[in-house]
Amino acid sequence: MSSTRQGARTGRVSRALAADRLGVPAVLSFVLAGVAPLTVAAGVIPTAYATTGLTAIPAAFLVVAVILGVFSAGFMAMARNVTNAGAFYAMIARGLGRPAGVAAALVALLSYSFLQVGLYGALGPAAAAEAAAHLNVHAAWWAWALGGWALVTVLGLARVEITGRVLGVLLSAEVCVIVAESVLGLAHPAGGHLSFATLSPAALGSAGLSTFGVLAVVAVLGFVGFEQAPVLGEEARHPRRTIPAATYTALGMIAVVYAGASWAMAAHTGTSHVAAAAAAQGPGLLFGLSGNAALAQIAPVLFVTSLFAAALSFHNCVWRYAFALGRENVLPAALGRTGGNNIPKTASLAQSATALVVIGGCALTHQNPMARLFFWGGTTGGLGIIILLAATSLAVIAFFARDPRGENTWRRLAAPAIAGFVLTGIAVLAVQHYAILLGVPPANPASWVLPGCYGVVAAAGLGWGLVLKARRPQVYATIGLGPHAITAQPATPAETQ
Amino acid sequence: MTLPVGGRRMPSPQLGGTGSLADDLYLLAHHERTGRPVLSPRAAGLGLAGALLGELVLADAIAICRSEVVTGASQADDALTAAVLGQVTGEDRTRPVGEWLAFLARTAPGGVAGRLEAAGYLIAVPARPWRPQRWVPVSADCAFAPVTRVKAALNPSRPADAQAVALAGLAEACGLGARLAAWLPPGSRPRMEAAAGRLDAGLREVITATHAAVGAALLAHRI
Repeated sequence: MSSTRQGARTGRVSRALAADRLGVPAVLSFVLAGVAPLTVAAGVIPTAYATTGLTAIPAAFLVVAVILGVFSAGFMAMARNVTNAGAFYAMIARGLGRPAGVAAALVALLSYSFLQVGLYGALGPAAAAEAAAHLNVHAAWWAWALGGWALVTVLGLARVEITGRVLGVLLSAEVCVIVAESVLGLAHPAGGHLSFATLSPAALGSAGLSTFGVLAVVAVLGFVGFEQAPVLGEEARHPRRTIPAATYTALGMIAVVYAGASWAMAAHTGTSHVAAAAAAQGPGLLFGLSGNAALAQIAPVLFVTSLFAAALSFHNCVWRYAFALGRENVLPAALGRTGGNNIPKTASLAQSATALVVIGGCALTHQNPMARLFFWGGTTGGLGIIILLAATSLAVIAFFARDPRGENTWRRLAAPAIAGFVLTGIAVLAVQHYAILLGVPPANPASWVLPGCYGVVAAAGLGWGLVLKARRPQVYATIGLGPHAITAQPATPAETQ
Repeated sequence: MTLPVGGRRMPSPQLGGTGSLADDLYLLAHHERTGRPVLSPRAAGLGLAGALLGELVLADAIAICRSEVVTGASQADDALTAAVLGQVTGEDRTRPVGEWLAFLARTAPGGVAGRLEAAGYLIAVPARPWRPQRWVPVSADCAFAPVTRVKAALNPSRPADAQAVALAGLAEACGLGARLAAWLPPGSRPRMEAAAGRLDAGLREVITATHAAVGAALLAHRI
């Protein structure tokens, strides 16, 4: 054997691979493509105003953006040092141990599943309203929700993802609508006086710390997706610059758009009236800010497409998690296999089946789709994300405590410590006051069943991780490696010549 | 029987194939009649890149040393693999198998299709404004024949041929497992997944790297 020698094509591979790498705009587009801003601006924010009765939602977006920015410092430092980056469970496995990684993987699956299934609770009513208004077709919300579910299922199996270009056009249109409605709404504040009260961080604790915890869970919903940038770490042209730049830009853009929209709703309606107005108008609270007839026509249609795009995006997110865990054999290997055209059919169908059961259950029990399926599903998913963020912060500290790997004190210790402390506090406060988040009396079982789900799956994950350690050490050794698990598995003796 | 094209007789396809690993994988990855790809372009590219590296490993033209590609003692068998070998030797340093897969994946499908066309197995259909150039099999039977070679490789009662086993392993690695399972006896899928474990280290490493690269591309939304 001989090693390669100097040649005329020095660096050709590097140049070719670099040309295929992604820059900041591409990574930023990837992150924002799954954000679906109208889903949050017209769906989550009005429902949050109506359900919680709390008005400091604009301040919550700004404060949570800062918290996530601090979190991102340690998160991205660790992402540079692990494979299967972008998956919380991979980082938690490396930092806190593989059993904790399995627990985190199941929590992540549950969180993203809540987020995906919850979207049908808004898609159904929104599509039903548009169909009734423009097509004179009158059908129940669940019929439209099932129609959306069927389309997501078919597109998920066919791997016809909504192309980046279409998503980009939708994203741009949604942002334009939100900005237009917000600016025009702020131009006509209630009582002729523009109030900044809802933007003040002081308002977050106006009704006690419970307010902060509840509002933070709502705000985190708006930022879900920002954590995906490190997924493209191996594909980025200059990972140390590209990934942080895209992440912080996305956080800033999301914070400004959502804080602005929620502020405009409160300022235009009046801080003391916004909750009642949101309860009465729902998404119309945003659509009616400008008083512009054209916007009022376009915005609801974009709301439906936004919800559909978000449902498909989270569907893909859930099966990707299941696929990675199947490749590691932590979950059944069938989830890690692909069919024709590289479609992970089993993982995709498993997610679709889950959604079908939940939609059917809500329909049969006559639940309010927006308040229950959409908002409860979404906020419970958001709680799961906060738990994962807090655990990841601890994992970052533990990981770099063993080997600093050249990272500075801010990235490997101070930032994750601050973020971990705040995020843990938010999670505890939110769970303690979950009834406020759900808009139910404290004795309502949902206030402990929904957050309790995470305790159950985390315990199951911990237990399964310990079982794997004892009975399948080869699988245990590859937890967190995702698709690279196969390269770490030991070989069997050769039998062929 | 040969077909005259522009006064020059083209070779005829044979059921035994060209004897090249990448050629067989290409035929598996496309419909035997229409030539339509059954894999995503990225997965097909990674699979064929792995197959070209596999050909060079089988020819002892390269070896895998600590997960990196190094040159071996022999030369490549044909122009396409000689070009790949030239790229390996032309680099100023050794590179991991994964990097070579990503690099070769860009051009492997076109290169292998061209080699099959020259061997008489494919015929090029010119590009149209609404679609790129594509290749259609000359003989559906010959295009389907690699399936029988995979089947033979998975038969535990027959002596295993390294190239056939490598073909089975690469087919599973780039996502052809489900398609092939439809034509293979029950229980073939697990044997296909375990095929790479029966090979020596170099081929095994190429196959596992291909499997990991396809999975990583899927998770990174590049497929």
